[in-house]
Amino acid sequence: MAAAVTARGPAQSDPFRVAVIVTLWLLLGLFVLYPLACLLVRAFSDDGGFTLAPIVGALGNPTHLRALRNSLVLATLVGMLGTAAGFLFAYTVERTDMSRGAKRLIDLIVLLPLISPPFTTSIGFVFSFGPRGLITHDLLGMQNAQVYGWASTTCAEALTYFPLAFLALRPLIAAIGGDLEEAAFSLGGSRWQVFRTVTLPLTTPGLGNAFLLIFAASLADFATPLILAGNNLPVLPTDAYLQITGMFDLKGGAVLSLLLLVPAGLVFFAQRYLVERRSYVTITGKIGGRAHGAGAAPAVRWLLWAGCAALTLFILYLYALLVYASAVVAFGANGTPTLDNYRVIFTEGIPAIQDTLIIALIGMPLGGLYGVIVGYLIARSRGISRHMIEIVSMINYALPGTIVGIAYLIAFNDPPFVLTGTATIIIACYIFRYSPTGIRTTVALLQQVDRSIEEASFSLGASTLRTFTSVTLPLILPAFFAGLGTVFIRAMTAISATIFLVSINWTLITVRILENMTEVALGPAAAFSVFVIVVVLAVTSLLNVALSRMTTPTLRVSSVGTAP
Amino acid sequence: MSAAAPVGITLRRVSAAFRSPEGAAVAAVRDVDLVVEPGELLTLLGPSGCGKTTTLRMIAGFQEPSSGEILIGERDVTRVPANRRDIGFVFQSYALFPHLTVFDNVAYGLRIRRKNSDEIRTRVTEVLALVGLGGFERRFPSELSGGQQQRVALARAIVIRPRVLLFDEPLSNLDAKLRVDMRTEIQRLQRTLGITTVYVTHDQEEAMAISDRIAVMKDGSVAQLGSAEELYRRPASSFVAGFLGRANLLPATVRESGGGNVTLEVAGTTITVVSAIAYAAGTKLNVMIRPERISIGPLGGPLDGEIVSRVYLGDKAEYVVRVGSATLQVIRADPPEGETLAPGMRVGLTLPREGVQLLP
Repeated sequence: MAAAVTARGPAQSDPFRVAVIVTLWLLLGLFVLYPLACLLVRAFSDDGGFTLAPIVGALGNPTHLRALRNSLVLATLVGMLGTAAGFLFAYTVERTDMSRGAKRLIDLIVLLPLISPPFTTSIGFVFSFGPRGLITHDLLGMQNAQVYGWASTTCAEALTYFPLAFLALRPLIAAIGGDLEEAAFSLGGSRWQVFRTVTLPLTTPGLGNAFLLIFAASLADFATPLILAGNNLPVLPTDAYLQITGMFDLKGGAVLSLLLLVPAGLVFFAQRYLVERRSYVTITGKIGGRAHGAGAAPAVRWLLWAGCAALTLFILYLYALLVYASAVVAFGANGTPTLDNYRVIFTEGIPAIQDTLIIALIGMPLGGLYGVIVGYLIARSRGISRHMIEIVSMINYALPGTIVGIAYLIAFNDPPFVLTGTATIIIACYIFRYSPTGIRTTVALLQQVDRSIEEASFSLGASTLRTFTSVTLPLILPAFFAGLGTVFIRAMTAISATIFLVSINWTLITVRILENMTEVALGPAAAFSVFVIVVVLAVTSLLNVALSRMTTPTLRVSSVGTAP
Repeated sequence: MSAAAPVGITLRRVSAAFRSPEGAAVAAVRDVDLVVEPGELLTLLGPSGCGKTTTLRMIAGFQEPSSGEILIGERDVTRVPANRRDIGFVFQSYALFPHLTVFDNVAYGLRIRRKNSDEIRTRVTEVLALVGLGGFERRFPSELSGGQQQRVALARAIVIRPRVLLFDEPLSNLDAKLRVDMRTEIQRLQRTLGITTVYVTHDQEEAMAISDRIAVMKDGSVAQLGSAEELYRRPASSFVAGFLGRANLLPATVRESGGGNVTLEVAGTTITVVSAIAYAAGTKLNVMIRPERISIGPLGGPLDGEIVSRVYLGDKAEYVVRVGSATLQVIRADPPEGETLAPGMRVGLTLPREGVQLLP
């Protein structure tokens, strides 16, 4: 009864709240809607006004058409492979009574790709399977092994993005466990029958969701194809980038990026749809009644363990290779240990490091706060404004980075808002692109906080602002920290959007890694990557410590670092 | 503790419109007129969906009425937000701040009022002693039992010395025994502090135990307002009769009326009852008879019936007796040992002359 009230509570109309909403809309207008509008106008207009000619031209161009097809095929393959790997890990962790140590290790393995610069896996692949690769050249003695192409790109992306599937599937599989599977057992089903008739059907929406998450990530991935795809596998994000940086054709790049828009949009809405009507499993909200390790038969258990172990070892091997490459003179040619690569990044590379840290450290608190405020407004408002805020605040997150980057480049290059070349544009890009994690976590937490707790504060005389700062904010602190963590991690590791926004004054570590890779300066590239991983691990650990210090024991929820 | 003289609460033609999910406007509360006297404890009683909680939330200011006005004392607070109404509100869910200790929960309202820390410490200590929670200052809400949490919620609401105290089903999450203790305690505190109080419940026993007056609500309106005894003895409608206690409602026809008596034909027999109102012969009406006022005995009374069921409850026994086409509930206090009444037996019933309410 309390929902859907037209007799509005006074909190709805208080001036502070109105001021916040107006400010928010100004920001969303400037940093989400305006750039997108500029991009569309640029792509769909010429001297004579509106035209579809450029987009028709792009679709008629065999090269671009091939890039579109490649992008879609690649994303499908990566989605399937990544979902399979994620399911393998999630099912093994939840169903085979693994030791706690093994679970810890898997948590770490899954975390690594999420907090690494986007080239990390690609660099590892080049080191392993390239012409002088550890495996192809040294181990197998192959000459001129060809690492570039479909196979390596697909595998590298699947390894980079399978954690998304793991994180989405694990709670689902945990929830299906216990009672439901035991009920099926008690009715006489064999283990395989139970898996096939209960576990798998109940996980299907989750599998679909995981597939779409990875599909979208792969579709938007810019870094991996740039390194590994080679000349025979053009994909849209790299094509758009080369169109702009190589041919100085901003309009052509805009049109190409828009070809991504339709599949990305479809996937986004399909995924939201799946999540919203998630499944029968979560309706009770009970995660209790876990399986008692009865899921898999002993032989199957060993198979699952073997699969997990193989993947885990391979990922660890890639990271070990990265560390090794960062600490030798020339990987594959001269294995003498040296700190030269680190000397290089801390001398020549220091501007990039400084810029990146400044941008990340400014973006982090702003993004965290933005996420919490927007999440609060979404969870605690009603009607049309709520839905508008929810949708618009998700746009930059849902769009592939290439589109957002090109849109910003077009929008903020000319008056009235000239921001090109500033730190502001990069920070704004990160905040509006990577805060939705904080927003979603805030909404989820607030849905568990009874409204009467805030009403109690009002009834005791507190204003809206006071209630927010002294009651609501402490309760959603974990969401705030999740927002901080995500924005920081992304600010340290992202490249797809911001590669269009860097300048002589402000550059980023990820951009330097890319430059090093193209100059075949692999040592510094590896050293930069190691540096980023260490900094990200250190900062997220600090955030976790701070969070547990700042919340009372009863409210402690760890939430930093694992959200994509 | 409360220094200021208590104030009354006045509701004038207050309505609340909700919009149903289909978009149709639904009146949750319609044209309620209600005066809560200074210092009294008035209960809003009714089944779920009757508008009692909405009415309370409008008094609190959590919700604005769609029409009508609300006064606290002489002050029109209709458009005043909750945080400027000077109220104390006790929630069904307690709504304790989970991140604050008991002390900080109770001190919250005092800090908002910028009291100095000495005064805060004194008043919090005092009020915690008053609700029997001295020594619990450093605990977190999650470390307390339900009853203790309820006491903290109560302490938090009264420590600010509000002009009115509002309770929204405060005891519904407690077990039966604790509920009785807590309602006694709430009543004691309210009497001591003399704060005008509105209390919402759906439990008629709780309402009768605690209230100075009860407003029985139905479908967004006040069906009847009065003391527990008035409502029980002289319900104005069959709804009130059935909601407060148990009642036999029987259709009856007036035979003759006059001299403070009415003779009625009911359940195939004729009874004469006391009535201040005279009715024309032939008037159709309903009679309400409380089950405990019907006496049950061996055959030969004015009414014959057959026992359908008997439930023995220790201090009383409850019977369902079929009389002609009607079914009567009968309660016998302290049934004698060796009573042999059993289903299927025929018995005699005697209807009372007084305490029979004639309802339209």
